[in-house]
Amino acid sequence: MRGRAARMTRVSVDADRCTGHGRCYTLAPDVFDADEVGHSIVLVEDVSGELEEQAVVGEQNCPEQAITLSR
Amino acid sequence: MTQTDGFVDQSAMGLAEPQPMYKALRESTPVFRSPRSVVLSRLADIEMALKHTELFSSNMDAVDLGNVRPLIPLQIDPPEHAKYRRILDPLFTPREMARREPRVTELVNEMIDRFADRGECDFHAEFAVPLPCTVFLQLLGLPLEDLDKFLVWKDGVIRPEGAQGHQTHGEAAAPAAHQIYDYFERAIEDHIANPRDDVLSAMIAADVGGQPLSREELLDTCFLFLIAGLDTVTDSLDCFFVFLARHPDHRHQLVEQPDVLPSAIEELLRWETPVPGVARVAIQDVEVGGCPISKGERVSPLLGAANTDPAEFPDPEFVDFARNPNRHRAFGGGPHRCLGSHLARMELRVALREFHRRIPDYEIAPGVELTYTRGLRSVESLPLTFPVSTP
Repeated sequence: MRGRAARMTRVSVDADRCTGHGRCYTLAPDVFDADEVGHSIVLVEDVSGELEEQAVVGEQNCPEQAITLSR
Repeated sequence: MTQTDGFVDQSAMGLAEPQPMYKALRESTPVFRSPRSVVLSRLADIEMALKHTELFSSNMDAVDLGNVRPLIPLQIDPPEHAKYRRILDPLFTPREMARREPRVTELVNEMIDRFADRGECDFHAEFAVPLPCTVFLQLLGLPLEDLDKFLVWKDGVIRPEGAQGHQTHGEAAAPAAHQIYDYFERAIEDHIANPRDDVLSAMIAADVGGQPLSREELLDTCFLFLIAGLDTVTDSLDCFFVFLARHPDHRHQLVEQPDVLPSAIEELLRWETPVPGVARVAIQDVEVGGCPISKGERVSPLLGAANTDPAEFPDPEFVDFARNPNRHRAFGGGPHRCLGSHLARMELRVALREFHRRIPDYEIAPGVELTYTRGLRSVESLPLTFPVSTP
């Protein structure tokens, strides 16, 4: 696939590292949400534009470095 | 006594401004063997210690608070630890806390009502202490009339008299600890007879794979909540308001740009780190930053030092309400990440929002010298003066 898909960034959370600080879903609520124990769920796996900006904020503010953005 | 010895001793007494001490320690001896414990002051080492519970445990050997069994979930190690967090985490999510926010807003305003027209207050005694205690009683469905009794017992456990003499902290705290166990025993009975919408009822009703929590597990969790949930928020309120009283520009930002409040709270948590450190014990021989630590040695990861480490935070001495990113460790990290972090954030947000809405300008009463308490970062009294708005 070329074009739009090539410019997307994949968002993933390492569930073993996530301890529920909640910074990601508080700061980037369109990309991340909380599950019933307050750990992170990825709402939108492939992001670009404004959603990608949010994903970056989420990734940078995780004290456990549990979020990975891959291009 | 070296300068670092003096610093660390002072921190046991309660430093007004600990940030220079953190910097001095981190730059001279980031892994420092004091008489009581090995003190860590570099973010990277602290992160590692918090994450690796198989090396650094928070079990009963890490600190003695007069409890007779391990506090739950703090003093339980993984993998058993996860079973308790699975039950408790759902009760303390941001969404659950948001449900409780309107009542906390009412409480905060009731407290402010008592001094708003007076033009002065002791912020510590009239707000910072009773607010988290009242929220705690409400959250657990305990009678608000028990507040004064509760405060006495809480202090009896956290800051017992006589603990600096021949008794250990645990021995001095034992009578108050006993009262607390008795009190919660009665509260649990009452909640079993009359369940309602509160955290204690939810804990009683919870089960792990068909097994409910035992009476002792319930008691040990309640005891932890008491130790971990009250003074911590009082300290945060004291520290934040001392800072805001002394820094009018920062205070004005809160008043003029209310949207900055959540980010401001994160930055104040970073800068003040009201719980300056946590207690661990090495359960294996381990090396940190080239320094060997023996199994059985106590270790003190200094969260306040992690939060001012320039390796992570550019310009760490600059308090920037718009700081981003801000991966601070005021709530610890790893498996024992503070269970009450979202409750604390909600209380702080409501307290700062409502207080500044009603009393935007205040200062510390002129001539007053603040006295900080031992161990945690609160003040014995915080006299504030402010203009009274005419009706």
